[in-house]
Amino acid sequence: MKKLMIVLTLAAMLAFAGQAFAHSPLMSCFDNGDNTVTCEGGFSDGSSASGVKVHINDGNGKTIIETKMNEDSEYTFDKPAGSYMVIFDAGEGHTVEVNGADIVE
Amino acid sequence: MKKRFIPLLTALCVMAFTGSAFAHFMVFYTPEMIMEKGKELDMRIAFTHPAEAGHMMDMGGIEEFYVLKAKGDKVVKTDLKDTLKEITWTNPHSSAPAFAAKVPKKVVRSMGDYVFVMKPGYYFEKEEGVYMQQITKLVVNVGEMPTLWNEPVGLPCEIVPLIKPYGLWTGNVFKAQVLSEGKPVAGAEVEVEYMSHMPNLDTNSMPAESSVEYPNGALVTQTIFSDANGYISFGIPKAGWWGFAALGVGPDKEYKGKELGQDAVIWVKAEDMK
Repeated sequence: MKKLMIVLTLAAMLAFAGQAFAHSPLMSCFDNGDNTVTCEGGFSDGSSASGVKVHINDGNGKTIIETKMNEDSEYTFDKPAGSYMVIFDAGEGHTVEVNGADIVE
Repeated sequence: MKKRFIPLLTALCVMAFTGSAFAHFMVFYTPEMIMEKGKELDMRIAFTHPAEAGHMMDMGGIEEFYVLKAKGDKVVKTDLKDTLKEITWTNPHSSAPAFAAKVPKKVVRSMGDYVFVMKPGYYFEKEEGVYMQQITKLVVNVGEMPTLWNEPVGLPCEIVPLIKPYGLWTGNVFKAQVLSEGKPVAGAEVEVEYMSHMPNLDTNSMPAESSVEYPNGALVTQTIFSDANGYISFGIPKAGWWGFAALGVGPDKEYKGKELGQDAVIWVKAEDMK
């Protein structure tokens, strides 16, 4: 039983270490040309961003949409009027911000 | 006087003969393998000897041209045959029909790996009386997100990388596995060439000037063999484009009643660490 505990602890440490080191968060957004915008997320180790939180803030920094990346690691939304910011939030040290002004077709 | 010509002629014959021994390579080229953001890709496909801007060959058209891209857990295939345009590629000593492709931005927009697959027609090598077909892969990445580069894509024969083909440092060891119908090929002969004459997309040609001085023909085309499990490794000595061609590993051995060599080709790119 003790041996199993050690193995499990090691496995947990490895899994944790993998998350802590290997990946940096990535997000890319594009204007679909039909008044919608698609943002896709991911991690530099190739892992999926499905379920990762996404926020869209207006020009005043107020959150107008709070959602999650879908099973394809994407989120499509209606393009907000005025300035906005998309925030990919995979936890502390793992956020990416994309300015709406930089999102083009 | 006449006697003096004999050594010269012999030398010319030997040169011509060694020339034909150099590796045939399906050049499948686009200026950058890594892009920060997706964009329209300008590609060229030509059949030649890239280390020497050598003799051009007619690949016999293109049978298949498509790209594979991961979307979530699925792999999406986009046919690209309608992006092809026939051109003439001119190297310093000969020219032949080749192809240009403009792959639209909407296809190369998402982050991730794009595995481009090009299956040409058949080239007839008159001297040897054999047909050749080189099924070629080129992996392009957008946004630094790795997705498909190390996956077999189900070709009759292919070289599957074990290190990012677009993300090599000079001095890295390129490792890969040679597959035929999905199974490892032991003892496969793999020819390796450097793109010493970078393709010029404006003129559809390779310049006469080489970026490498080859002391002899043995170094123009290097040959490596796969191990018992089909793995190859090759230390990359110089930044730039390197082509790997696994010879005759494909399942098709005959075309129009003649011997066929079906090869698997992949291109990789190395950068200097500064």
